[in-house]
Amino acid sequence: MMNTPQQVKNPSSSLKSRFITRFLGALTKITAEDPISSSSPTRIFQRYRRIKVASNKSMAYSVRSRRIWSRAMLSRFRSRRSAFSGRRSSVKTTNCTTSPPPALIKVTINEKKTAKGGLDMQTDELRELVPGGEAMDVCNLLDETAHYIKCLTTQVQVMRKIVDFYHLSK
Amino acid sequence: MQPCSREMQAMNSLLNPTQQIPLQDLQINGNSHHHQQIHVPSSSQFQYPTPTSTTHHDDSFLEQILSSTTSFPWSDETGPPKPEDNNNAGFNYDEMVLASKLRQHQINGGAAGNPFSAMKMMLMMQQQQQQQQMMLAGRPTVASSAAGGGITTNHQGGEGSMQALYNVFGDGSLHGTMQAKSFVGANSATEMTQSQGSRPTAGEAVTAPEKPKQRVRARRGQATDPHSIAERLRRVRIAERMKALQELVPNANKTDKASMLDEIIDYVKFLQLQVKVLSMSRLGGAAAVAPLVSEGGGDCIQTSANGGSHPRNSNGDQTPSANDRLTMTEHQVAKLMEEDMGSAMQYLQGKGLCLMPISLATAISTATSRSRNPMINHENPTNGSHLLIQSSGGDGPSSPSMSVLTVQSATMGNGGLEGGAASVSKP
Repeated sequence: MMNTPQQVKNPSSSLKSRFITRFLGALTKITAEDPISSSSPTRIFQRYRRIKVASNKSMAYSVRSRRIWSRAMLSRFRSRRSAFSGRRSSVKTTNCTTSPPPALIKVTINEKKTAKGGLDMQTDELRELVPGGEAMDVCNLLDETAHYIKCLTTQVQVMRKIVDFYHLSK
Repeated sequence: MQPCSREMQAMNSLLNPTQQIPLQDLQINGNSHHHQQIHVPSSSQFQYPTPTSTTHHDDSFLEQILSSTTSFPWSDETGPPKPEDNNNAGFNYDEMVLASKLRQHQINGGAAGNPFSAMKMMLMMQQQQQQQQMMLAGRPTVASSAAGGGITTNHQGGEGSMQALYNVFGDGSLHGTMQAKSFVGANSATEMTQSQGSRPTAGEAVTAPEKPKQRVRARRGQATDPHSIAERLRRVRIAERMKALQELVPNANKTDKASMLDEIIDYVKFLQLQVKVLSMSRLGGAAAVAPLVSEGGGDCIQTSANGGSHPRNSNGDQTPSANDRLTMTEHQVAKLMEEDMGSAMQYLQGKGLCLMPISLATAISTATSRSRNPMINHENPTNGSHLLIQSSGGDGPSSPSMSVLTVQSATMGNGGLEGGAASVSKP
């Protein structure tokens, strides 16, 4: 009942198909490890995190190193993994995927900078959103943003279809 | 006479490398000429006394020839040396060529002064030598170009030969050469400016043949400054990228760059949030989806509609409270609806929800979705709490404002609503 292969443009090696393959593989692994029926809330929460990470990771892997943001994301995953395993790595773990609350700081900065050079503030914000955006100039940043948006939409599409599929097969 | 002889002697010593020309020429011309050459000098008169004796024909002949060639440039001070002036007809060929070249050069530039003409003779003789050497080597085209170009148009060649002549003359006649060089340089400068049609820089005669500076005024809108060109390129590229982004992001009809960037930022945040939400609902088995979604669904949908707001869901932690909260909300709404619909609506709006009949909700969702979403589940309300998360836009995520949450709840149906169940949807 999977109708996803029909929407793939190039069945051989499009971004979508690569992502789907990887993500489904990760999903099956997670569901195999964690039986859902006997899950405590914390486990459920962990599962949610794992699935989210798996989704982002599969997308990043599908893009490989062709993009700056995917490279940054992959290095972030690797550094986080090494940090979790207990090894003191000298690599600085950049900000985690959940957005920290710098919203307050942002507000004050907004108030200050609205007058002059308003574009700087927004480019900074964009830099925070797009992984690896800190070390890019505006031109590259916009390029990476476009590709990142494209990949995110693919991600959301696929995941939504999987949800629908599960609901249907219920 | 005597100064001439001294000059001749000096020139003799300096001209030693170039003395091979007449010898080669003698050999090239062949025997017939040779005979003539031999015979002629014996009978001709020498304008200048030669250092060597003129009695011997065989040994001194060559010396006479050499000396007469050296005396050749100084025989004429006013005009180009004519072949008949030269007593040594043996060098007719050479002299003819040199004379023509000198005439040519004088026509182009105008010779002035003895040292200048001497310079030119040196120049021509050197080029002649080069030409003959090259012809011997079998490259006539190059030789002709070198010979022809060296005098008139090939400024750099002239420059190089000038420098070579510098070395030959040494320091003695530098000022003369300087004059000549500046003259030739001015010639070349004027020629180049005439040919290229740009304003020449004045007074740069010496360096003009090497690099004629052209000060072209920048046309309007076309800066020649490399920085501004780079700046313009950068702006163009950024505009291109912005245009590409405009196509990706919905609601991208903003012309302002700042608002466009805002839109882009919001959209990226929304997409990232959607991934989070979907990963929450995407938790494997079908049985677990519904209760899980129902627990965290209210929170999720509420926050997703706000766009960039921080999702306040730690799903697992708040499971009991979320569940309770939702049912509490439902009970509250039901209670309010008994009293007054308006207050119920207000209460819901305070929470960021609104109330609408299911038919309308489904109509909205089907209208906005791409009809690919088979999730409109109209199961009988007796099934208990049945929560369906239905985001419109099956193909791609829509803007945040179109998330719809339909609740078919038996409790709500009992809460006083007549007929079908109500749907709580986000405006």
